[in-house]
Amino acid sequence: MRSGPIATICCFILNVVLFAQATELNVTSSSINDHDTNPSLELLVDTDDKTNSITSNDIEDVRVDDINERENFNVITINDDIQYPFNEKLLIRPLPNNNLLASFAFEMESETFIPGHDESRSDQYRHFTVFPKAIEAMLGSTSTRQLHLRFTRGFWDAESWGRLPHDGFKSGGSGVELWAIIEAGSQKEAFDQWKTLANSLSGLFCASINFIESSRTTYPVKSFQPKSTEEGLPIFGGDETKNNKLYLLRASLANEPICTENLTPLLKLLPTRGKSGISSLLDGHKVFDSMWHSLSIDVTTHCDFNTQTCKYDMDAEVDMVIHVPYTLARNEHPIPRPTPNSELRCDLTKPYDIYQCFPLPESNSLSFEVSEIFGKPIRGSNLISNNPSKVCVDIGDNHENNSWEALLKVNGSHFGTDDNCFDLENKDDYDIYISSSNTNEIGRHSEKEEDVPLYVSRSLTGYGQDRGGLRTVFTNPTNDTIRAVYFESLPWFMRLYLSTMKLESDAAGAGLDLHDVITSVHYVTAIDHKRPTHLEYTIEIPAGTSLAITCQFDKALLQFAEYPPDANHGFEIESAVVTILKPWSYQIRTSTLLLSLSTPDFSMPYNVIIITSTVLGLIYGSLYNLLVKKLVTIEEADEIASQVGLKSLITRLKKKFI
Amino acid sequence: MGLFERVQRQVIARGLIPKVISLLPLISTLCIVLGIVIIGILPFEGQYRNTYISENALMPSQAYSYFRESEWNIVRGYRSQIVELRNASAVERNAIMSEWLQQFGTKTDIYQNHETGDTLYGVFHAPRGDGTESMVLAIPWFNADGEFNVNGAALGVALARYFSRWPVWSKNIIVVFTENPKAALRSWVEAYHTSLDLTGGSIEAAIVLDFAGEGDLFDYMEIYYDGLNGELPNLDMVNIGVFTAEHEGMKVSLHGTPFDKIKEDTLFSRLKILMSSIKNSALSGVKKTYGNEAFSGWRIQSVTLRARGQNGPFDVTSFGRVPEAMFRSINNLLEKFHQSFFFYLMLAPRHFVSISSYLPSTVAISIGFALASLNSYFNNPYYTLPFFSLYTLLSILFWFVSLVVTFIVSNIFIYSPFPTILLAVNIIICLYPAILKGNAFMKDLLSYRLRSTAFLFMSLLLTSLLMVNFPLAFGMGLLSFPMTQVKTITSDTPTISRTRVKNSVLLLVSNPFIATWLFSLLCDNEFSGLDVFERLVSASRELGCWTWLVLCVGWWTPWLLVAISALDTVKLSNDSEDFKKQQ
Repeated sequence: MRSGPIATICCFILNVVLFAQATELNVTSSSINDHDTNPSLELLVDTDDKTNSITSNDIEDVRVDDINERENFNVITINDDIQYPFNEKLLIRPLPNNNLLASFAFEMESETFIPGHDESRSDQYRHFTVFPKAIEAMLGSTSTRQLHLRFTRGFWDAESWGRLPHDGFKSGGSGVELWAIIEAGSQKEAFDQWKTLANSLSGLFCASINFIESSRTTYPVKSFQPKSTEEGLPIFGGDETKNNKLYLLRASLANEPICTENLTPLLKLLPTRGKSGISSLLDGHKVFDSMWHSLSIDVTTHCDFNTQTCKYDMDAEVDMVIHVPYTLARNEHPIPRPTPNSELRCDLTKPYDIYQCFPLPESNSLSFEVSEIFGKPIRGSNLISNNPSKVCVDIGDNHENNSWEALLKVNGSHFGTDDNCFDLENKDDYDIYISSSNTNEIGRHSEKEEDVPLYVSRSLTGYGQDRGGLRTVFTNPTNDTIRAVYFESLPWFMRLYLSTMKLESDAAGAGLDLHDVITSVHYVTAIDHKRPTHLEYTIEIPAGTSLAITCQFDKALLQFAEYPPDANHGFEIESAVVTILKPWSYQIRTSTLLLSLSTPDFSMPYNVIIITSTVLGLIYGSLYNLLVKKLVTIEEADEIASQVGLKSLITRLKKKFI
Repeated sequence: MGLFERVQRQVIARGLIPKVISLLPLISTLCIVLGIVIIGILPFEGQYRNTYISENALMPSQAYSYFRESEWNIVRGYRSQIVELRNASAVERNAIMSEWLQQFGTKTDIYQNHETGDTLYGVFHAPRGDGTESMVLAIPWFNADGEFNVNGAALGVALARYFSRWPVWSKNIIVVFTENPKAALRSWVEAYHTSLDLTGGSIEAAIVLDFAGEGDLFDYMEIYYDGLNGELPNLDMVNIGVFTAEHEGMKVSLHGTPFDKIKEDTLFSRLKILMSSIKNSALSGVKKTYGNEAFSGWRIQSVTLRARGQNGPFDVTSFGRVPEAMFRSINNLLEKFHQSFFFYLMLAPRHFVSISSYLPSTVAISIGFALASLNSYFNNPYYTLPFFSLYTLLSILFWFVSLVVTFIVSNIFIYSPFPTILLAVNIIICLYPAILKGNAFMKDLLSYRLRSTAFLFMSLLLTSLLMVNFPLAFGMGLLSFPMTQVKTITSDTPTISRTRVKNSVLLLVSNPFIATWLFSLLCDNEFSGLDVFERLVSASRELGCWTWLVLCVGWWTPWLLVAISALDTVKLSNDSEDFKKQQ
C-alpha cells in the first residue's frame, strides 16, 4: 500500500537548447522587424529613430495605464487595431431563491518564448504584453508547467443552486488551495521548487501560502491530473543527462481567510487592473459580502512542436453568489433592520392584523441593475483585447413567456439582444438591467446541466480529546452509477486507522460491502511532523443510494512549539476533494472541519520546573548532609550544642562576669 | 534540616504522637466540621466575588439588538399557527415547522428515534463563516413540566428567520425542535456526533428556549446551567446570559429563587442559592432536566433560558432579544470558551465563588475519612502487629468482593429497578448486627481492618471525585460520614446492646440509598415516594449520568465493609496461639 507518491506525467519531450547563438540573433532581429510592421508597438518608442533603439527595458511591462502617462511624450496615439491576446467575459446567471451567480472570466496569453532560452543575458529580452510578468518569472524560475491557485470561501448550496460553476474545476475548498506541475530531476528537487513557488505566491497574493511545507504537501495520484484532451505538457530539460520528470504537488490551507488582500493582487495581474472592462465591477466590499465566492488562477504551458516555441495561458476567474434582496437592502441600510410594518409581506390566508403577521416567503419579483449589486457600473470595454468585453445574462431564450428580461443600459438608453449577451465596445459606462416577474422560473439551457451528480458531506464524530471518527456521506441522486475519486489529505496528528473503515448504507444500498463500492485505494501513511496522510480511493455509488464511509482516528499530541501562538480555536482539516469520472466529469469539495486537540496549559512547564527544583533541592540537601556531616548520637549532639552557638556564648559570658 | 530535627525532637519529647493517635476520632470529626465551615463562610461578604466577563471578545450587549418592531408581529404570526399544532402529532408538527424553516433557506432534516421521538433540526450556513463551528438554538416542543412550549417554538422559528437575514455570522446556526428536553434532546446531540448526515460543524454553544403558554408577557427569566456529572458551562456563558437579560431590564433567577426574593442580596439569600446550587448540581439529571444538560460532554457550553410568570412587564420579543444578543456575543469568539471558570458555585446571578475557595471543604472531608481510617488501624490493641497480615489481606479481599457485587447490582438495577427490595435489603443489613447478636463471626482485628480499608477507599474516592464533581463528593462525604462512628463489638465491650443499637442507627443513616432517599424527600420538594431511584436510573440510562454508579460503587462498597465490621467479634488476644503467630 505504501506505494511511492510520485506522479510522473510524461507527455512529449521537447528538444531544447538546440538553437545556436546565431539563431537567437535571428530571432531577435526578426522580432524587431515584427515590431516594425505592428503599429501597436510604436507607442513604446519615444525617440525619432524607432528601428534601432528598442531595448528590452523599453518593451517590458507596458500596459494601458502607461499609455495615458506617456501621452506627453512624442508618441504616436493609440491605434484602434491593437490586438492583444486577452479576453474577458462576465456571466450572470440567476439561481433559485433570488440568488445570482456572477462569473468573471479573464483569459490571457503570454508572448511565445523558446524553452531553455537563457534570459539573464544582457542581449536577450522578453516581451510582456498582457501576461503578468510576475507570474511568468515565477513559473520560469521554478520550472512550473502548470499552476492552479484557488481562494474559496462560503457554502455552495448544491441542493438548491445546482452544479458549481465550471463543474467545480475552478473552485477550491474553503481557504487556499494550490497545486502545480513542476518539472524536476527528482522529487526532492521538485519539492524545493514547490517551496520557492509557494513563497513567491505568498508574497504576490498576500496570503499565508508560505506555510505550505512537507507536512501539508501531497503528490496526488488519481485526482488533479491534467486534462487528457490537452496536447500534453512539455518537459524542457528532457535530454538524457538530466532525465527530468513532471511532478504534481498539491497543498491546501483550510484556515486561511479570504479577503480584499487577495483580490487586489489578482486584479493587478489583469492588464485592465480593475480600472476598465468588467473587472471594474470587482470591489472587495461586494465580492466578500457574497454567499459564496471563489477566486482562481490557472496557468498552463502550451508548446508548438513545429516552431519549438512555447507560451503560457492564464485563466483568472472570480465567481460569486449574491443574494439579491439582501444586497439591495444593504445599499439602503447597512444593518438589516426589521422590515418596516408597512412593508411586511404577510400571509393573508392566516390570521393577519396589526398585531400579528405570518410572514410570506421572499418576493419572487426582482428588478435591479448590476451597478446596484456591485456598487458601480462597468467602466467601458477593456479596449486592448482581440475581442470586446462581453457580458452574458443566462436567462434562457427571449420569448413571450420568459419571466426574465435583461437589457444593456448605455447613456440612459436600454438595449436588448436575442441571446442576452452584450458586447461592450467603447469607453462608455455600461450597466445591465435585469428584471424578473417570477424568480422561481429560471430559464435553463438544458436540464442535464443543472443536475448535481453527487452530494458529499463530511463530519467529525466521537467524544473526547483522544480519538475521533471521520464520516463521509455520499448521496447519489441520479439514475446512473457514479464513479468518483475521493481524495483526502489529513494532518499527521490525525492518526487514521484504515482498518476501521466501515460502510453504512441506506435502504437502497442495503447489502453492499465496503469492497463493492471502493475499488482501489491509494494510501500513504503520515510521518509525524513531516508528511500528511494521503488517501485516495475510487468509489462507485449505485444510483439513488446514500452511503456513509466512516473511519476512526487517534489524536496525537503536538510538540509545544507546534501549537499556534494565537487563539486556541482548533485545527482546521482541509476539504476532501471528490472528482467524478463517470457519467460526466465534475468536482466537489466537502466543507472543512475543526479538530480540537487537547491543548496543554502552557503555564504548566513553569510549575513543573518549580516542583522538580524543590524535589532536587531536598534530595541534594539530604545527600550532601549525609556525605559531609559526622553522625553522632543525640546526647553527643546536645553536648556539642551546649558548647557552641549563641546560647553557650551567653552562658559562658555570664559565668565569666557574674 | 535543623528546624525539622528540632520539631521532631519536641514531638517525641512531649509524646505528641500517641496523644494525637488517641485523639484521631475527634480530629476526624473536626475535619468534617471544618469542611462545613469552609462552605458556610462563602456567602459572607468578602468571601465571594462578583462575576465579570473574562473573555474580552464576547462583549455582551455592546451592539443594539434588532429583534423588535415588526419582528414582534412575526413572532405572533408564527405563534398563531403553532397554537393550532398543540394536538397535532409530532410528525405533523415537524413537517410544518420544517416547511417554514426551508422558506428562508435553512437546510432541514429529521432525526428519527423510535424511543425518544423524532427531532427536527435545521442548519443555517453562515455565508461568511468557514462552516466549521456552529451554535445551537434548541426548542423542546414540550418543556420540563410537560407544557406545550408555544412561545418558545414561535421564538425559535422567528429567530431563525431573523438570523438568516444577518450577514455577521461566523458560525453556522442550528435550530433544533425536540419532543422533550431530556432523552430526546440528548439522543439528538449524541446522534449529531455519531450518525447524522446533515451537520454544521462542531457545536460551540447551545441555548435552550423554554417559554410555555400563549400569553405575551412574562415576569422574569430563569437560567439553568447545571451540566451532567459535575460539568458546568463556562462561567462566561452564564454571565453573558445574565448580562444580556439584565441589559434588557429583566430580573434573573437562579435555582428557583422566587420572583419576590430575586432582589434580595443578604447572607441568607446567598447561602440559600449556594446550597441549592450544590444540591442541584449533585442531582443534575436526576432532578427535572431543562435541556441544557443534554449538551454536556462535548465541550458545548449550554444554558436554558426560561420565562416565568405571566403578568410582568416583559414581552415575548424581549425574551427573544436575549438569545439574539447571546448568539451575537458568542459569534465574536475567535477561540473556544476557555477564559473564566469551568468550576464554580453561584451565590447570586452576579456573585460566584471559584473552585479554589470551595474545594478545600471536600478536601477536609476526605482527610476526615483518611484520619478515620488511621484511627481504626491504630486505636486498637493490635497496632503493634505487622501491617501485612492475614487480616489485612482478608479485608482487601472483602473490599474487592463487595466492589464487584455493588457494580453488578448497580447494573442489574438499571435494567430492572426494584427500589423497595433494595431499601429492604439495606435495612436488613443495618439491623442484622442487632439480630445476630452473640454469634461471633470473626476476630475483632478483622473488623478494625475492614473499617480501615473502607474509610481509606472512601477518602481516595472522594479525593478523585471532588476534582470532577465537587457537589456530589461534598454531599456523599457529608451524608456518609456517620459510618465512621461505628464501633467494633466484642464480648467485653461495655454497654454492648447500646453500642449495637447505635451501630445500627449509624449504618441506617449513612446507607447510600436510605440517605439519598431521605435527603430527596426532606431537602427537595420535587421528589415523592421512591421516585428518586427511578430517576437516578433513568438519568444513568438516558443521559449517561454516572451519579447512580458512584452511589453504588463508591459509597455502597465501603458501607458494606463497615456493616460487616459491625457484626459481633471475638477478641484476637483470647486466642493466644493466633496472636502469638501474628506477633
